[in-house]
Order: sequence, then structure tokens, then C-alpha cells
Amino acid sequence: MNQYFLTKECKELHAFPHIIEFALKKIDTIQFDSFKKETSDFLRLYYVIDGRFDWMIEQQRHILYPGDIAIILPGQSFGGEKDLLDIGTLSWMHLELQQLERNGKIAMGKWSRLSDSECRTIGRILLINHCSVLSRLKEAGIIFQSIQSEFINQEVGYAARINQLIEELFILIARQFTGQNNSRRDFPQTFLKLEQALRQNLSHQWSVEEMAALVGLGTTAFSEKVKSFTGFSPLNYLINIRISEAIKLLKRPDVHVTDIALDVGFYSSQHFATTFKKLTGYTPSEFRKKNILTD
Amino acid sequence: MDCIITIEIGTGAIRVAAFDLNGAMLGSSKGSYPTFHAKPDFSEQDPEQIFITMLYILKNFLNEKIHAKKYTVLCICFSSAMHSVLPIDKNGVPIGNAIVWSDNRAKKESDDLKNSALGNALYKATGTPIHPMSPLNKITWLKNNDKDRFAATKKFLSIKAYIIEQLTGEYVADYSVASATGLLNIHTLKWEGDALKHAGVTKEKMADLVSVFYSPAKLKKEYQTSFGLHDKVKIIVGSSDGCMATLGAGVWGDGKATVTLEESGAVRVMGERVLQDKKQRLFNYILTEKDYVSGGPTNNAGSVFEWFAKQFGDFKKAFELEDCIENLIDEAGRVPPGAAGLIFLPYLQGERAPIWNANAKGVYFGLNIKHERRHFIRATIEGILYAFFSIGKTLEEHRSFKSLSANGTFASYPFWTQMMADIFNKPVHIKPGSGSDSVAYGSFLLSATEIGLYKNLHEAAQSVKLPDSFLPQTQNHNIYMKHYRIFEKLSVKLFDEFEAIADLQQDD
Repeated sequence: MNQYFLTKECKELHAFPHIIEFALKKIDTIQFDSFKKETSDFLRLYYVIDGRFDWMIEQQRHILYPGDIAIILPGQSFGGEKDLLDIGTLSWMHLELQQLERNGKIAMGKWSRLSDSECRTIGRILLINHCSVLSRLKEAGIIFQSIQSEFINQEVGYAARINQLIEELFILIARQFTGQNNSRRDFPQTFLKLEQALRQNLSHQWSVEEMAALVGLGTTAFSEKVKSFTGFSPLNYLINIRISEAIKLLKRPDVHVTDIALDVGFYSSQHFATTFKKLTGYTPSEFRKKNILTD
Repeated sequence: MDCIITIEIGTGAIRVAAFDLNGAMLGSSKGSYPTFHAKPDFSEQDPEQIFITMLYILKNFLNEKIHAKKYTVLCICFSSAMHSVLPIDKNGVPIGNAIVWSDNRAKKESDDLKNSALGNALYKATGTPIHPMSPLNKITWLKNNDKDRFAATKKFLSIKAYIIEQLTGEYVADYSVASATGLLNIHTLKWEGDALKHAGVTKEKMADLVSVFYSPAKLKKEYQTSFGLHDKVKIIVGSSDGCMATLGAGVWGDGKATVTLEESGAVRVMGERVLQDKKQRLFNYILTEKDYVSGGPTNNAGSVFEWFAKQFGDFKKAFELEDCIENLIDEAGRVPPGAAGLIFLPYLQGERAPIWNANAKGVYFGLNIKHERRHFIRATIEGILYAFFSIGKTLEEHRSFKSLSANGTFASYPFWTQMMADIFNKPVHIKPGSGSDSVAYGSFLLSATEIGLYKNLHEAAQSVKLPDSFLPQTQNHNIYMKHYRIFEKLSVKLFDEFEAIADLQQDD
């Protein structure tokens, strides 16, 4: 396999402002300080073709074997355990994303046709999974290979093809993450994990698609499963959690009703008041008055 | 037409059901909520989430199944899981989550008390085995380990008491749920002074004791409006799920026992006398001031088979546990009784009755080179039911019974029910299509008695007809008993090794 190396300066990448680097490298001698631990503001994907690599990602040691892929998000530190590259063969790609925020908001950039909500879902999956390595993902290797041959051959439509392939890689990684983290056997366990993710970010406007993707199911199967397990549709279950958190906050005199509404994920205090009254018979302020006793 | 609504606040879900006055179920609905494990030994639930889930489910159920068909609601009767503790502050606001029955944080408090003279006296007085499950030990844990929360607590409620207070404004503890706290004297029906003292509380910290038939104040106006119920609807505080399941299964007086096969399980009898077990192996809970439900609980029933299915079953579709379980049971049926000498101890989650050993673990014993996967499946089911039989045997040292009535999700698999009949060598009755409805039916019987449809609970229980019965096959029974003897010995013999391996696992 021939080595291959493209950086920003290369004319092949002019049509791809989002690709900072694309490479296939064979390492046959060990060089000290060849792979220092660093953070960067772009996304890094490293696929192992051959050999055994001893890496540190965010202070966590990972040993990668052929077929494994490491996904390093912007801001994460990454490098060789001993600051060097082990002997073997690697493919990698550095990508500039338009946006990736702490809450999972991601924007790929103009080159991608993934919708906003799909991007958000993928972003959330990447962030929620603290584990940054997927093992035995040969399909990722095939995608890397195809990207490389598109670059080399430059046949008609190659630019579109390359962007498609990168999207495909993202989708593959996102699906693999949910599959790896959910046994697909234990729904109660999986659902509990989802519930914890919802509670950690209750102010977010969760969609059914996002929730389903976190569990690794399509929306129809997900909704059916949630309904039969909890008795509620996914969105109604979410309202349950929102109202029960709101009740706790309403019982504390120091938080404003408007803040409570937004904190627990209602888009306005009006929306909060209507939903709350429908369920409990009280408006939030009536409920508060009834429940905060003066000593 | 008139109807009665029952609300079960279970371990993982609220179940609402409606019955007409003849006891025919008009419909049911459920809504689940999670159990959080902030630490491995902790099991907690969010009281507000339970309350909201209850409101949601009840409101929709009333609109769709009751008001839409012009039924008139006469009363609403509650039941709940036992052993929960919810501390509330001076404003009635919960301090943190509710600690539920499966929580094991009070292991040390329990061990210390169990091996003392006081522990023995408290078991006799309260009828509740000394175990981390009991609010007695949980409150003692709070006193020792969570001083701020303990000091800020105005009252220690059960989840049910909290829900009823939210709806009516009254703090009440029914004798039945109270009798599972380890703090109530089941002979005098008063809070037990020595138990309260041990936990560091006074009776003012507990809710007011009332009968299971008690009706608190009316529903708050807002809930009357929200539910569309008039102010004459009677709220009945009701009992615990265990007692209701026993009543709903028609078990009353001599000769009958009930087996509940849910995630966890129990074997129970009902009668007018307390069973005093010298080894503290059995519980005695109150149903009414005159009637005691006695028996033994197991940690390892359906949950263990579900564990097995998740590890070793075939999942043709994601998360389709039920299909997977049915296929496994089908496979187990192709192996003769005794699983070719493979014996399983099901104590994956420690065990309560009759061995009361929190360190107990699961064991496959007698494995040889000819055993296949299907032998494991059969042995697993046999082992789970041997554990039930061991509880039944303990019960029979005090009171004999001739037949069993089974309820719970796993009782609805004929293969399990037949095996139970064979192992116990007694006929097993099951209400057709009842599944886990016997708690709801017990609540119906209790309500129906309160509004005068039955003279007393005895008559109500006798009205339960259980046509479907599984008869024991002596030949199978004899085979099972040969294996059971080894099972019983191993359960005790491995005591030291259970402790040693529990220590090792603690370090992981």
C-alpha cells in the first residue's frame, strides 16, 4: 500500500475547505516525539490498518488494533502513550466542523446535506459517549480507502463522492456508538441511560428522532417500545420528567416561575402554565402558594 | 353504572384499574418510573415523578375508560410496595428521593441489630425480619450517615403516604404498610417504642396510624376538577401490594397459600394468628386489625430468569425480551425434570427467606461434559422454583396448606406453573388471564367490603373462583425432591464460601 499525504496546501484539497489533512502512513521505524499529546480545535479520526498503537486520549489509555478507529473531538488531548507513533499503518483525517458545542450542537458546514436535527443528534451521540474508540469497525477502513482512491483518480463527480463518504463515516460512527453502548437486549437498562441523559439536559428541546438515535432504534420502533414499557409516548414521558422537576423547583421559594419553565425545557412560561394546569389542576403560581407554608 | 378504581403504586410502575361492582375488570392502564442507583447499594425513586405519573395515568384513564362510558366512580383504593422511606421537611417537601425496598445501604445497621437481643425482641414485636429493606434500618442509617437530612426531617413517610397527602392534605399510615416498617408493634397496633428509640425518632415523626379501610379527607378541589370527580368519591388508603395479592388470590384461612412470581417473589398465607419463627425467617404483616399475612420473600424470581435470557437467549429483534423468554421456556420443555443432574442456586441478588443471607450467590452445580445449553435453561427455572419451595417448607413448619394459588407475570407461563405444582406436590390454581392483576383484585375486594358489598374480607376472599388448576405429577415430584435435597444442603453448606466470594467481589 502506497503512502499518501494531503495537507491544506495541496491543490487536491482546495475544493474541500473542511478537510485539513488526509493521510495514509506506514510507520516502520520508531521516532521519539513523533506523536506528542496535543489538543486541537478540529476533529480527528484515526483508523488502524496494521500494527498495534498505544495511545492516550483525554488522559485515558487505549490500545488499538487493526480495524479500530479513534474519534477525537475538538478540545480533547490525543497522542502516543510515549509521545511516539508505534510501528504499523494508519489512515487519518482532520476535519474542520463549522460548530460543535458542549450541548452537542454541531454544524458540519455547507458541504454536508445532513439536516440540522440529524447533525444535532450525531453531535449529542459523539459527546455522550465518553469512550472515544470503536473497535473492529472494518467498514470505516473501507470508507477511508474509497476516499483515497477518489482523491487519486479524480473521476467525474469525485468531489461530491468524497463528501458523501465523509457523511457516511459520521453516520456509521454514530450508529456504531449507540449499538456498542446498548446491548439491544436490556431495554429497561437502556431506557434508564436515556432518562439520565434527558435529565442532565432538560432545557434542551429533545425530539423523538434524537432520543431514538441515542437508544439506537428507528423512531417507530422506539416509540412503540417506550409506550409499552412506560405507558407513555416518548414526548409525554419527557413532559412527565419536566413537570416533576418543575414541582421540586416550585417548592423552593427562591426560583422564578419563568426561570423554572425554561430550566425544565418549556419554551415559554405560558406553555409551562398550560401544561402544568392541565395535569395538576393548578397554575404554577397557585401550586407554589399552596405548597410554601409560612412558619 | 357504578365502578371502583384501584391504584397500585408498585416498584416500577403505577397501575390503575377499574372494576364494576361484580368484580369484572373494565380496563387498566400503567405508567412506569425509574429506580436510580446513585451507588451500587442505593435504590431510589423520585416522589414527584411518581406523583405526576399517577396524575397523568389516572386522568387519562378516567377520561378514556370511565367518563367516556358514563361510569360513576364510587371509590378509589390505593395499594403500594412495602418498605419505602421518604423524609419530608417542615413544609412537607421531600428531602431527596424516596429510598425503596430493594435499597441495601443499611446492611451494617441491619447486621448489628440482627445479632442482638434487641433485634430478636423487635422481630417478635414488629413481625418484620431484621433486614436492610426495613425502614427501621433505613432510618437508623440516615441517623448515622446523613445527619443533616435526618435532622431536617419532620416526618418519615412511605411513598403511598406522600401521594395520599398530596391528593388530600392528610398524613396517614395504614396498619398494613406500617407493619412492614419494623417500627410497628403488630400485637398492640401502636408504634413500637424500642424500635423508634433505636432509630432515633419519636412517634411524632411518623404519620398517624389508620385502618386499611380508612377514608381520609376529600380530594383537594383542584384534583376533583382535574379528574372530573365529584366530592363524594371515597378515597380508601388501602394496604400493601403483598397483602392485596394474597387477598386477591382468595387465600383465606387454613389450607391455602399464594405464590407471587414477579421480578421478586413470595409465598404467603393469611390467618388470625402471628407465626413466631424462632429463626426469624418469616414476616407477619397486618391486613386488618384481625388478620395477618405471613410468609417469606425471595429476591430471585423473574429477575433471575430475565438475567439468564439477556445473557444467553437469542434476540431475533432488538429488545424483544418476551419472545426470547418464550423460546427459552420452549427449549427447557425438551429436557426431562431434573435437568440431567444440573442444579442451580438462584441467589444472584443475595437471598431473603429462608436463608436470609445477603452474601449468597448464584451457583451451577453438578456440571458434566454432556450438559447442553438447554439443560442450563431448565436448571435455571428449577432452581428458581426450588427457592420458592424452600420458603413453602419453612411456612409449613407453622401452618400446612393443601393448594397454592399463583399470580405474577411468570405464573402466566403454564410450564412454570406445572413445574411449581410438581415441586410442591400440590395443585396450583391460577386465575385465567390474571397475570399480575391479583393486587388490583385484592384492592377491589377490600373496597367492595368497605362499601358493603361483602360482609367481611373473609366472604370477599371466598368469592374468588380459581378454575384453572395444574395437578401435581408424583413421578416428577419424586425426581425433583432428589435434586432438592442437594439444593437445600448446598444453600447452607456454602455459607463460608459465599462470604469469601462476596468479599472478593466487593473489591472489584
